Amino acid sequence: MVGSPVLFIAIPLLAAFLIPLLGFVWKESVRILPGLVLLYLLYLSLTLMEQVVHTGTIVEVIAGWAPPWGINLVFSPLTGLLTTLMILMGFIIWIYSYRFKNIDFQEAVKYFILLLMLITGSVGIVLTGDIFNQFVFIEITSISAYALTAFYKGRDSAEASFKYLMIGSLSSMFLLLAIALIYSQLGTLNMADIAAKAHLMKPEFKILALIFFITGLGIEAEIFPLNGWAPDAYAQAPGPIGAAFSGIVVKAGVYAMIRVMFTLFDVAGTHQFLIVIGIITLIIAEMSAVRQEHLKRMLAYSSIGQMGLVIVAFGIGTEEGVFAALFLMLNHAIIKSLLFLSGSYLVYHSTGKYISEVDGIARNLPITSFLFALGSIAIVGMPPFAGFWSKWSMLTAAAHSNLILIIGLVLSVSLIELVYYFRVLNRIYFFPKKKEVVVKKPTINALLAMGLLGLLILIIGFYPDSVTGYLHAASQSLLDKGKYIHDVLSTGQLLLP
Amino acid sequence: MEFKLFDLSIVEYAFFVTSVLIILIGLYAALVKKTLIKIVIGLSILDAGINLLLISIGYLKAGTAPIFSPALVKNMPLTLENIKKLSEGMVDPVPQALVLTAIVIGFGVTAVALSLVIRLYRHHHTLNIDEIKNLKW
Repeated sequence: MVGSPVLFIAIPLLAAFLIPLLGFVWKESVRILPGLVLLYLLYLSLTLMEQVVHTGTIVEVIAGWAPPWGINLVFSPLTGLLTTLMILMGFIIWIYSYRFKNIDFQEAVKYFILLLMLITGSVGIVLTGDIFNQFVFIEITSISAYALTAFYKGRDSAEASFKYLMIGSLSSMFLLLAIALIYSQLGTLNMADIAAKAHLMKPEFKILALIFFITGLGIEAEIFPLNGWAPDAYAQAPGPIGAAFSGIVVKAGVYAMIRVMFTLFDVAGTHQFLIVIGIITLIIAEMSAVRQEHLKRMLAYSSIGQMGLVIVAFGIGTEEGVFAALFLMLNHAIIKSLLFLSGSYLVYHSTGKYISEVDGIARNLPITSFLFALGSIAIVGMPPFAGFWSKWSMLTAAAHSNLILIIGLVLSVSLIELVYYFRVLNRIYFFPKKKEVVVKKPTINALLAMGLLGLLILIIGFYPDSVTGYLHAASQSLLDKGKYIHDVLSTGQLLLP
Repeated sequence: MEFKLFDLSIVEYAFFVTSVLIILIGLYAALVKKTLIKIVIGLSILDAGINLLLISIGYLKAGTAPIFSPALVKNMPLTLENIKKLSEGMVDPVPQALVLTAIVIGFGVTAVALSLVIRLYRHHHTLNIDEIKNLKW
């Protein structure tokens, strides 16, 4: 064993708090340390992932309190896949923002601490096997996300952040209520133990707890009535943080919601509920995206729409559906991050971030524009890029479950996406350049980060088999509830005196 | 551990009713009030209500601290039955641990919220939420 899952939380937390101290000794270390930490964790997660797919779930017991009493971390194919994805995105975002805030040392310290906390929190949400611990990680993620949203003092970022904080803290109260309800009924906080005992709960309490959970977790997952914060937060936060939100935080939110729905409670009708809520999210977000005049708001609505698609795919409920949903999540993380990273260079100096300001910018920024175009084409789902395979697997999953409506919906939504992404591409490539727009050349590390993401899109596009094995293992591990319960609770019996 | 909704003593009942009332007051303040500071206060009240609810889950009339002190154990062999008998009057410590954590988190959120309110006031020179709408609320 190369290392234990607890390192995913311990190391970045330690590093986050070491950053300001190391900054006194050597200023450059503030920028280098997060990258080293993330690189090591990436290596660790890849090796652990390889191990887990072949030999089965690793359950880490914290402080010797065996489940169901203590906190435990579960590194299963599913959580391992998401952890790897998040850390990979974190690492690429670090490359992108290495020279970020070049002049101001204090700002860089704050930025990298918060970024590391954001990644720690999200990875914690995915790895933990205890609902209260998950609540704590959700709060760590949210508080760093509020602070990162308000990072630029010049913009309207405080307004966006306060809005996010309002919705976020209200929904975290619901989460706490759900936890209180479950604890009062079952006397346990361990997810596997709750799943094993869920039949003891009265059905009305179960549904009430489920509603509280959906309200509490839906905000990070950006499902429809709870996503009002997202467009503002994405638009006001620094560019790489938009990528971090869509690549890291949202993925953790969706995971938490799906874990509650698939593992904790098996209430009849949750799948239909997921389909309905996903479709509503999808349609409203895509319709809003078409009418946006701000580039980042458009990307944000597109991000919400994609999450709706993921939730619909989870709602199909078959193994194929879950596979498609995980594939969509993976591709969305990579492609939308590329769009945010390259898009924020396209509108770098503009205050309004209007789409009309990218006119003819391809002549000045050929590589960035090319990467943005690659991302746009990939997210719409054109072959042979990454987005095609995930949409294709979703369509086949829907076809095998006889959900013809969903097929029509996915196709028409792709058409809407085509419209608003190609509107931007048209402006970038074929409109005359506006004179007053000042162009900012991307730094070498930004180009490296965007190039890496573009390469990933091409690799997944041409060799989808390179990831499908892991995705199949992950979807089986999500649907096999009995194995999850057994894996976690059997660790406890081994350690009992 | 398991409680039945309509089978509570007066004291327990009072705890639940009070905590629900506090939660509702907090929700009202957070959702209806127009001043940013009042909204933050509302969130804090909401927090307090939920903490009270969590504490009252672990409430036991005349409960003792969940510590197996030498005076309590009195040379009894610690078999499973003895432990069960001894722990009957003990308060469940888990909700209290949860509340401690929740209080700290609530403190953090309130601090961030207040610092954002300061930023908003410097930017807009008002605390009225209706006048701060550069972004679509």
